[in-house]
Amino acid sequence: MSGFGTLTAAWMVADSPAPATRGVVLEQTRALDKFLAEIERRAFRMAQMALRDPDDAMDVVQDAMLKLARNYATRPSEEWRPLFYRILENGVRDLQRRRTVRKRFMTWLPGPKEDPDHEAQDPLDSVADTAPAVPDILMQDQAMQKLEASLRELPPRQREAFMLRNFEGLDVAETATAMGCSQGSVKTHYSRAVHTLREQLGEVW
Amino acid sequence: MSEENSGLQRTLLEERSRELFQDSVERIDMRTRSRLTRARHAALEAALDARPARAWFMRMPVLTSAAGVAAAMVLGLSLWVHAPAVHHGAPPADASNFEDLDIVASSDNSQDNVEMLQDDLDFYAWAEKTAGGEPAA
Repeated sequence: MSGFGTLTAAWMVADSPAPATRGVVLEQTRALDKFLAEIERRAFRMAQMALRDPDDAMDVVQDAMLKLARNYATRPSEEWRPLFYRILENGVRDLQRRRTVRKRFMTWLPGPKEDPDHEAQDPLDSVADTAPAVPDILMQDQAMQKLEASLRELPPRQREAFMLRNFEGLDVAETATAMGCSQGSVKTHYSRAVHTLREQLGEVW
Repeated sequence: MSEENSGLQRTLLEERSRELFQDSVERIDMRTRSRLTRARHAALEAALDARPARAWFMRMPVLTSAAGVAAAMVLGLSLWVHAPAVHHGAPPADASNFEDLDIVASSDNSQDNVEMLQDDLDFYAWAEKTAGGEPAA
């Protein structure tokens, strides 16, 4: 946190605002740092689950942090969470769209064509699990893998609604802000997501 | 009854998935945690750079340094013009510059003088950093 201390001091001195403003700026910077520190890991996992790539997930989270800090730091802190997730979800969608375009472009090029049904699957998924013991942590991992696989099967909007409501704990209004849709749509997406997941996972769990 | 059962299953699914997700978050490796921390600091730093609230003269390092040099020149010129012409005559044999220091040090407001001197030094250190493009800390 020493870097942060220097950072805030630099901000205050460089801007030289009135004494009352300095206090506000310092408080705001601390609050934003605390907010980002609190959500960054969950945001990373959610992006990773959607993108299946840790580096891409890191890029999207970093970009969301940057945009929030640059454009919305002065907004009331209650608005940060839905705004951050809106930026994050937009980033995830943009990246997925770019991947789709890239994939289409690659299919025009000569070379072995991928089977669209299996192209997104990790080869390691088909390797038999030969672990001798099944400790709790492994069972947790397997359950999480099933959950992730089921979430990826969901339509994007349903997945977003489920993760924001259930994992991040946003209420319906905040989720609507984050997703850029009405509260009614959030309820519908969420309900359908839970229904589908229950059908796929309910008996396993 | 089936609706109740359905609702219960639904709640269990929500709780179980939340628990699994939270568990996976807590098991994020240290390298990723470190990268996230660095990303956060970079975001805050970039946001500070983008802040438009700086005074106009602070946004012009060349102008700031030029103003500092000009002020120093004026001060130097002023001291040179109004300096006593000690070089025209031989100083008394027992005179010593240390006497001047004693006078300054023994005056009632000596603490104020020291503080003013310290303020000036701080200012010039700050001005030098600012002119060099570094944020003053």
